[in-house]
Amino acid sequence: MNKLVLLFCLPIAFMLPSAQATDWKMDPAGSTLMFIPTFEKIPVPGIFRTFDVRVSFDPETPANGVLKVSIDVTSADLYIADVNKEISGKDWFDYRNFPQAEFHATNLQHKQGSQYLASGTLYLKGVKQPLGVLFNWNSSANGTTLEGELTLSRATFGIGTGEWATSEIIGSDVKVTFMIKLHRVD
Amino acid sequence: MLRNTVYCWGTLAKLLHWGMAALILAQIGLGLIAASWRVSPLKLELFFWHKSIGMLIVLFVLIRLLWRACNPTPVLPEGTPGWERIAARTSHLLLYLLMLALPLTGWIVNSASNIPFRIFWLIPLPAIVAPDDLTADLFALVHRGLFVVITVILTVHIGAALWHHFVKRNNVLVRMLPGRRSPHE
Repeated sequence: MNKLVLLFCLPIAFMLPSAQATDWKMDPAGSTLMFIPTFEKIPVPGIFRTFDVRVSFDPETPANGVLKVSIDVTSADLYIADVNKEISGKDWFDYRNFPQAEFHATNLQHKQGSQYLASGTLYLKGVKQPLGVLFNWNSSANGTTLEGELTLSRATFGIGTGEWATSEIIGSDVKVTFMIKLHRVD
Repeated sequence: MLRNTVYCWGTLAKLLHWGMAALILAQIGLGLIAASWRVSPLKLELFFWHKSIGMLIVLFVLIRLLWRACNPTPVLPEGTPGWERIAARTSHLLLYLLMLALPLTGWIVNSASNIPFRIFWLIPLPAIVAPDDLTADLFALVHRGLFVVITVILTVHIGAALWHHFVKRNNVLVRMLPGRRSPHE
């Protein structure tokens, strides 16, 4: 009798969804990671030229998803020579001691429509911060994209220390936007 | 009276003259302090004021030039020697040119440095040149050079006004002072 039950279980086991989600790789040419601080309340657009996104994700089963972002902080560019020089220093990004930033999320949930939430941890300038990132997942004939935006407080990470910490001349809130073009890893 | 006569400056001319004198002195102070201050929120704030007032000066200079064109210009006292007349016209012409050239070169520095700016935090100032480090450095040098020139000309201008008053004992300075109404010689 037991052997008979086992025989029926086998095909059912094969029908269960696999815990292995689809792996995706970033297309650097079609992807952008921007950060937008404000100067005297004026937005100043900047980018990180070098970063990578690796994701394991199926829109139908987001729970199995994993999102990993690594950023070369030293590749930051605000398109202003004097400013680019300043942000490399200890008071700001401190390139020498903290050249890398990372975001890891293993908790991905569906929110509504094409919107998902990646709950994970951001590592930036030596600070470890839990962070939830909302993103839109869009697959079409043109390809697959992962995009969204969020606002971070630079004070959380000690970016802009001393008299810069409380000064609102460089706003405390920094907008981050991302548009990631992905292709399947076969 | 509002308008000039051939003997005396009108109220608006006096207002523009002294108003701009105050702004220009403020600019010299702001520029010197901002440029020499260490990198800090204060330095950035001072430059924002400096640039805003600079653009305000451009507006006032244009109004002033327009008003000057629509008004008689008071004549120098009778008997004024030729060289004095030339010196007066030249220095005043140079001052007008500098009052425009200084903000203009400053505007070029700001544009070439790609620094975001809104006049008095309100009106975005469009870039007049494309971002370029070499242009920014060059015009920063020109801007500073022009500052030296205007300081020299202003010293001559103020010195001459005082000389007219205390040495030559004529009404050249007096007729630019606020409150004086009589158009007499």
